[in-house]
Amino acid sequence: MFLIPCPYCGERDQSEFAYAYQAHVHRPKDPDRLTDKEWADFVFIRDNPKGVFAERWIHAAGCRRYFNLMRNTATDEILAVYRIDEPQPKVEPALPATPSGEAPIGSGNDAVKVVKPAERGS
Amino acid sequence: MLEPDRRSPLHHRTEISAEEAAHLRELPFQGKIVLRGDAGSIGDAAADVLGAQLPVEPCGSALGANLAILWIGPDEWWIITEAGVERDTQARLSVALQGRHHQTVDVTDYYTTIEVAGLRVIEMLSKLTTLDLHRRAFPLGRVAGSMFAQTQATLWHAGSDEYDSPSFRLFVRWTTADYLWCLLAEAGREFGLPVQEPLAGETWRLAR
Repeated sequence: MFLIPCPYCGERDQSEFAYAYQAHVHRPKDPDRLTDKEWADFVFIRDNPKGVFAERWIHAAGCRRYFNLMRNTATDEILAVYRIDEPQPKVEPALPATPSGEAPIGSGNDAVKVVKPAERGS
Repeated sequence: MLEPDRRSPLHHRTEISAEEAAHLRELPFQGKIVLRGDAGSIGDAAADVLGAQLPVEPCGSALGANLAILWIGPDEWWIITEAGVERDTQARLSVALQGRHHQTVDVTDYYTTIEVAGLRVIEMLSKLTTLDLHRRAFPLGRVAGSMFAQTQATLWHAGSDEYDSPSFRLFVRWTTADYLWCLLAEAGREFGLPVQEPLAGETWRLAR
């Protein structure tokens, strides 16, 4: 569980919010001319990056408004929160210094296993 | 002939009390109107009817002429009136806001109001919600929607009770009102509130 800063109400617990998938997915301007593949891309295909991801959330139990949020999916760090009518801000990923940017502890990545000083000698 | 019989969601409950520690009662049929619109466009006309400006700061409220205006969202307010005058208030609002983009809905019978107050009320409510209810974080007049155990409700810090302890109003949907009532009684059991058996017979264990 983590705290999410709603752009209207301020910081609240995650249990008040609902996830609403990827942000900035725009409906095609000329739907008549779309191929099946382009329709499938619009309807079904979403990015699933490891790292910074712009997504929509709704403050379902509070003010009931959608808003956009940029989150590092590897560390759950929230990098930016902005209203639906605001442009996407530029954010510095600020990823941990590991090969692919995941958290050093608890990510399940054995390549960055933390070696405690006591283990070093054996 | 059937006589029309208006019953509140918690008509089967009576006020329960643990003296100054906590007390709990339903305020049946309190008028509730949803008002939606842009504050800049409907604010002045609505203020003429309501007797107070629409509160625009998030999670705030304002007191008007025998009614209260609660901030629910950036373009949404609830108008809480005394029982029986909600239709009149809604009609006057509709006349005053004619021609402006807005919406009013009477949700009096969709929600009910539970008044919960007392010396230990913040400890009671904190068992059910993640909101910070300390008087610095949740001062008089503050409004917040949140989850209370498994149900959504809107909490309003409305005033003080006769012992000068905080008094909150909880606006909860009809279908989950009995659940929340029994859970509030359970949360206040250590302070002396009597056990309330849920209608649906469910059981629970609260973190202490």
